[in-house]
Amino acid sequence: MRKLLAMVVALVMLCSVTSFAAGEETYLGVMLLTNVMSLDTHLATDGESFEVIADCIDGLTQMDAEGAAIPALAESWDISEDGTVYTFHLRDAVWSNGTPVTAADFVFAWRRIVTLNGEYAYMFDTSVGCVKNADSILYDGADPATLGVTAIDDKTLQVELEVPVSFFPSLMYFPTFYPINEAFYTSLEEGSYGTSPETFLSNGAFVLEEYNPGTASLKVKKNDLYYAADSIKLAGIRYQVVGSSDNALTAYKTGALDVVSVSGSQVAAVKKDAELSASLKVTGAGYLWYLSFSQTEKNAQGGMLANANLRLAISNAIDREALVEDYVLDGSLDTYTAVPPQFAASATTGEDFSADQDRFADYCGYDPDKALEYFEAACEELGVTTFTFTMIYGSNEGDEVAKVAQVIKAQIEEVLPGVTINLQSMLKAERLDKMQNDNYDIALTRWGPDYADPMTYLGMWITNNANNYGFWSNAEYDQLIRDCTTGAYITDYDARWEALLAAETLVMQEAVIAPLYTKASANLIAAGVTGIEFHPVALNRVYKNAEIK
Amino acid sequence: MLKYILKRVGLALLTLFVIVLLLFILVRIMPGNPFPSERMNDQQIAMKRAEMGLDDPMFVQFGRYLYKLLIHGDFGNGTSLYYGAPIGSVMTTCIKNSFRIGGMAVLLGSFVGLLLGICAALNRGKFLDGFCTVFSILGVCVPSYVFLIFLQYNLASQTKLLPYFFDEARFMQSSVIPVISMSLFTMSTIARFTRNEMVDVIDSDYVHLAEAKGMYGSRLITKHVLRNALIPIVTVLAPLIVDLLTGALVVEKIYGINGIGKLMVDSIAGEGVDYNYVLALGILYSSLYIGIMMVVDILYGVLDPRIRVSAKGGDR
Repeated sequence: MRKLLAMVVALVMLCSVTSFAAGEETYLGVMLLTNVMSLDTHLATDGESFEVIADCIDGLTQMDAEGAAIPALAESWDISEDGTVYTFHLRDAVWSNGTPVTAADFVFAWRRIVTLNGEYAYMFDTSVGCVKNADSILYDGADPATLGVTAIDDKTLQVELEVPVSFFPSLMYFPTFYPINEAFYTSLEEGSYGTSPETFLSNGAFVLEEYNPGTASLKVKKNDLYYAADSIKLAGIRYQVVGSSDNALTAYKTGALDVVSVSGSQVAAVKKDAELSASLKVTGAGYLWYLSFSQTEKNAQGGMLANANLRLAISNAIDREALVEDYVLDGSLDTYTAVPPQFAASATTGEDFSADQDRFADYCGYDPDKALEYFEAACEELGVTTFTFTMIYGSNEGDEVAKVAQVIKAQIEEVLPGVTINLQSMLKAERLDKMQNDNYDIALTRWGPDYADPMTYLGMWITNNANNYGFWSNAEYDQLIRDCTTGAYITDYDARWEALLAAETLVMQEAVIAPLYTKASANLIAAGVTGIEFHPVALNRVYKNAEIK
Repeated sequence: MLKYILKRVGLALLTLFVIVLLLFILVRIMPGNPFPSERMNDQQIAMKRAEMGLDDPMFVQFGRYLYKLLIHGDFGNGTSLYYGAPIGSVMTTCIKNSFRIGGMAVLLGSFVGLLLGICAALNRGKFLDGFCTVFSILGVCVPSYVFLIFLQYNLASQTKLLPYFFDEARFMQSSVIPVISMSLFTMSTIARFTRNEMVDVIDSDYVHLAEAKGMYGSRLITKHVLRNALIPIVTVLAPLIVDLLTGALVVEKIYGINGIGKLMVDSIAGEGVDYNYVLALGILYSSLYIGIMMVVDILYGVLDPRIRVSAKGGDR
């Protein structure tokens, strides 16, 4: 008995070894919503991974506080007269193992992504980046070596495009276009690149200090070899995945974390607390939540939603203002345009593409009378007065999504007599699967911008686009988008801008989608922490100018 | 005895095979997409499916999977989760964390639980017995994550004695809070069972006989009382061990532990349904469960020869 007692006491003592070590005082503690899925630039697809990759690797350009492209690894660049050849002049920079960053690192990385042909490879094709021969490599199996990227010498990178792309420099700060050192990559065991600090090379502001795949916490520390190391004030960043928002708030209050995101329901509580509300920062996250309507005969009572008046009736029955102010609560913006506000501004006038939210007041807005007018017209055209649709939404896509679905259902049913909306909750993967296989009536879905141009949204509604889940098709629209990507307007920036506005009008006139709200990101930032830049596009948080005072 | 063990092992292997087969089929017919991409077109997704061999007939896929698993010990690569790393390397880290923390919780829980149960049984009707009952009820009723939050608040937030989140670099310090909170359920269950079983055994005729023959004290407790009380306790402990080793899901999520419970949820409820992770973890869970149950079966034989004998009788 005594032995047993002694063993238990010993075990308890062993477990109770405590430490007063406070850890790295000057590391910035940052909350991540989900795990970092991959640090391989060509496999990563999520915002968390992109953020950590961008901490550690620089591209040809980087974002300034407003999101404009400014030089990073490329000190300068020349553009040929016809706008199809970019010549980037690289600065003297080194990887964290001391080897110089060269133009060949970009050539290797770019050829690798078109070979892997993963999720973000499309940014090279003619729908976005228009890099020469990317389409034939990605979709017709051409040799990746024919990609329009050449290392003229160690410090000069030449990129050939199929057609001019006005926003090409701003694409270069997206991680998909970052370089990889070939010698280092090939020295690793297959599949191990980016899986530990030893198998990952940095050339950016920070180097990876602690990481393994699937980890809930990781650390990066300042890279002393970084070409602009003098301007980096943080000693490092300590990332922590926090599963529950309540836990995150407690961790913030106790000082365990310096930057945490708060959910809509917490924002109200935070605003009541004077100290906390001073630290609250709400920024646009750029995600547009919208309703997608299946227009094929297979769904929605034999294709009822192919009727534009019925879609317009639904869109006009939704009170978006009440939705964001009473239910979403985190500062999200009620949205009445197919391209959300605050992410794409004109290069010539500086005006936000969607600044005017009343542009489509006739087609999108809360107006029960107009909704009824559209509804009556639809009933007449279809010869039906009662409709029952199922609306699908993801159960793992954020705290407020189920609430939003319920509110929309109630609003539509209240305004439109005879319409019944049945809700069906499922995992996001299943929702996507149903949408991709055209097996749904109405879906509550979202899209985040990959680059700062309205095309990231408008490109989706052309005939046969993989994201055109409603199967809407309009020849005029297709032609407009073609003209803007590879045709008539590519050399005339303002004409292109106008053509995009015209294209958006077509989408809204027919209520191809019903835009709902542009999601905001509400963060608490500890007192004394300054300089974190928040962006709605590409990299949501950038720490190069961050400081703990 | 050898025949008894061999029979148990054979049965366990057969059960495992059936489970793997069922899991394999279920994973492939469950809704969801292994490549839940919004940016790849049909052609690209078809290429990925072909690369993973997902278009082959199911029995061909199963044969290939089994071959890789048995011959090379290879669980394959994830489809949607942690693209860069092979499943083996991700699982190794998660298993290491879950097993170390779970293992410590099992040890702490069963030692303290046994001790408490024995003390309560020997002090029937006294203060210690009452304390044990209250403690058991509390430990069973209050979920482990409530204890976790309580400890997190008091030990990590108010007094800053321990890390607020799990930190692999400071493993021992950051294990204290999850180990204590996870062990409380086991501790209470074991204490309650030990106390009740011991009380039954103490009242039995053969213990009275032993006492009458002059046996008393620790010899009586260990040789007669505890040994007979242990059989039901072992039965209760076995599934508790599996639960603890495979990670308490909520505890892992709240405390930020990179463990297998969290991995399981990520692989199903993440962006996509990751076929290979679900399968690999399913196999891990079931082999652990079957393995531990097999050990329990064998332990029965050791603890109570009657079971061994009756199994033998059944063979004839």
